[in-house]
Amino acid sequence: MAARESGRIKDANQKRVLDDAARKRRQRKALEALEEDNFHDDPHADLVMSKKVPKFQETLDSRGVGRKKKTKSAEYYKQRFRKTFSQLVEEDHNYNPTPPNYMSAQSQPSQFPDRHFCTVCGFPSNYTCIPCGARYCCIKCLGTHLDTRCLKWTA
Amino acid sequence: MSSVTYILDNGGYMAKVGLSSDTPKLVPNCIMKAKSERRRPFVGKQIDECRDASGLFYILPFQKGYLINWDIQKTVWDYILSKECCPANLSQMPTIVTEPLFNFPSIQEAMTEIFFEEYECQSLLRINATGLSCYNYRHKNPNTKCCLIVDSGYSYTHVVPYVNGVKIKEAIRRIDVGGKLLTNHLKEIISYRQLHVMDETYVVNQAKEDSCFVSQDFYKDMEEAKLNLENNTIARDYVLPDYTTLRRGFLRKPEVSGEQQTLRLNNERFAIPEILFHPSDVGIQQMGIPEAIVNSVKACNEETWPHLYMNIVLTGGNAKFPGYKDRILKEVRSLCSSEFIVNITLPDDPITYAWEGGKAISKDPVFSNMVVTREEYEEEGQALCYERFDV
Ligand SMILES: [Zn+2]
Ligand SMILES: [Zn+2]
Repeated sequence: MAARESGRIKDANQKRVLDDAARKRRQRKALEALEEDNFHDDPHADLVMSKKVPKFQETLDSRGVGRKKKTKSAEYYKQRFRKTFSQLVEEDHNYNPTPPNYMSAQSQPSQFPDRHFCTVCGFPSNYTCIPCGARYCCIKCLGTHLDTRCLKWTA
Repeated sequence: MSSVTYILDNGGYMAKVGLSSDTPKLVPNCIMKAKSERRRPFVGKQIDECRDASGLFYILPFQKGYLINWDIQKTVWDYILSKECCPANLSQMPTIVTEPLFNFPSIQEAMTEIFFEEYECQSLLRINATGLSCYNYRHKNPNTKCCLIVDSGYSYTHVVPYVNGVKIKEAIRRIDVGGKLLTNHLKEIISYRQLHVMDETYVVNQAKEDSCFVSQDFYKDMEEAKLNLENNTIARDYVLPDYTTLRRGFLRKPEVSGEQQTLRLNNERFAIPEILFHPSDVGIQQMGIPEAIVNSVKACNEETWPHLYMNIVLTGGNAKFPGYKDRILKEVRSLCSSEFIVNITLPDDPITYAWEGGKAISKDPVFSNMVVTREEYEEEGQALCYERFDV
């Protein structure tokens, strides 16, 4: 009885298949990574800057000829104009809902069918991994895929 | 008005800047930090002084092609205007500064404010880079009424038709694929297939620039790339910089690796730029460039179609991929009706083409009617800028 139980559990594990929602989540995560602007919050912000750092205040003062003007700091503008990209899109959508606008300019889906490539080697692929839906081209690549990616990342 | 104008084509990755009497300087529009010199931020071109660019990362003012991080931008602009880069006293001359298409109103207002109030501009023209490219093209080809600018940069690609110098807003198409996405994708597949380079955006971006090309026959090149090394004309090794003997990597024929660390690049060389032609290859459900061109033309008045197909101009960094123009020509040719003549211009320098347009426009008599002066701004404020600037 006990043996049968564990056998069934093992079976269920093997047949674990990502549902549509999980696959879409995975796809969305992959796209977000591609869209990354390589924007980091400065991890060394707390380090003391060396003397080599240009002193903008000084260079600014020498900008105008014989001109003394109080310039505002970078931090001032950060506080003054602080809106995230999604806030801006939403704002635009509310104030300027009729096309043409940022949203409407986005190119529509292609009329040509999707092409499929092996997620391992990048060559055209004819097969789909049953558990996760990734594409592969041959047994060797399927093996690599199962060992490295398939259900290994939690979507 | 002064005979010299300050022109700043403020790209999301690279600013092109200079006096209209001069040639443009390319300045990275970001602050960079290197692993090797943690205490020193490198602003703009200062990165040239960085001895070891491994593990370099960018802090960019732009996100998704729009100006979001104003503290970073202010720091870079202060540097650009300083003696170290491209000094000018903007209160003594007109300024042209570019902005993205469909720029959001709050960003537009911030631009106007910072240029008039912080930099005390004498007069200002805010305009799309594609508008300057259009001007440049018509300046060189005086009898053309229409042109279609395909601007493929760091953040995205835009297809923008112009009729009599005015953009047809309803027909503008944006493809959310730019150089950034291509580099990120290359980083990811190299990291999965051979070497962890996820923290090496700078180096992988150079590898992309040095190695990638646009295929003229995609599936044929895929077959070619499957051949063994002796018969394979695509597979190459990219020798990575070590920052002692080599500052920038280079591409060479595959050989048994010696001391140097290399990346083997094969189908990656053309599968990466291919995303510009098939965004769906990475799951972006949008048309590729040739299809978007035809789609954009069709959204314009029918009488302009032959003129638009005759005057397609390719700008932006991605236009530098070998084979880019030929592939677009071939596909637009096959997608549009055979009655049209398709003619495509790839400028000598697709990156500075818009800036050069700024230079030409600053010498046009109409220029003084296009700008907003400081006095006008002080009297009429933002409203006048909305009226006069079409961004
Ligand atoms: Zn494969
Ligand atoms: Zn799988």
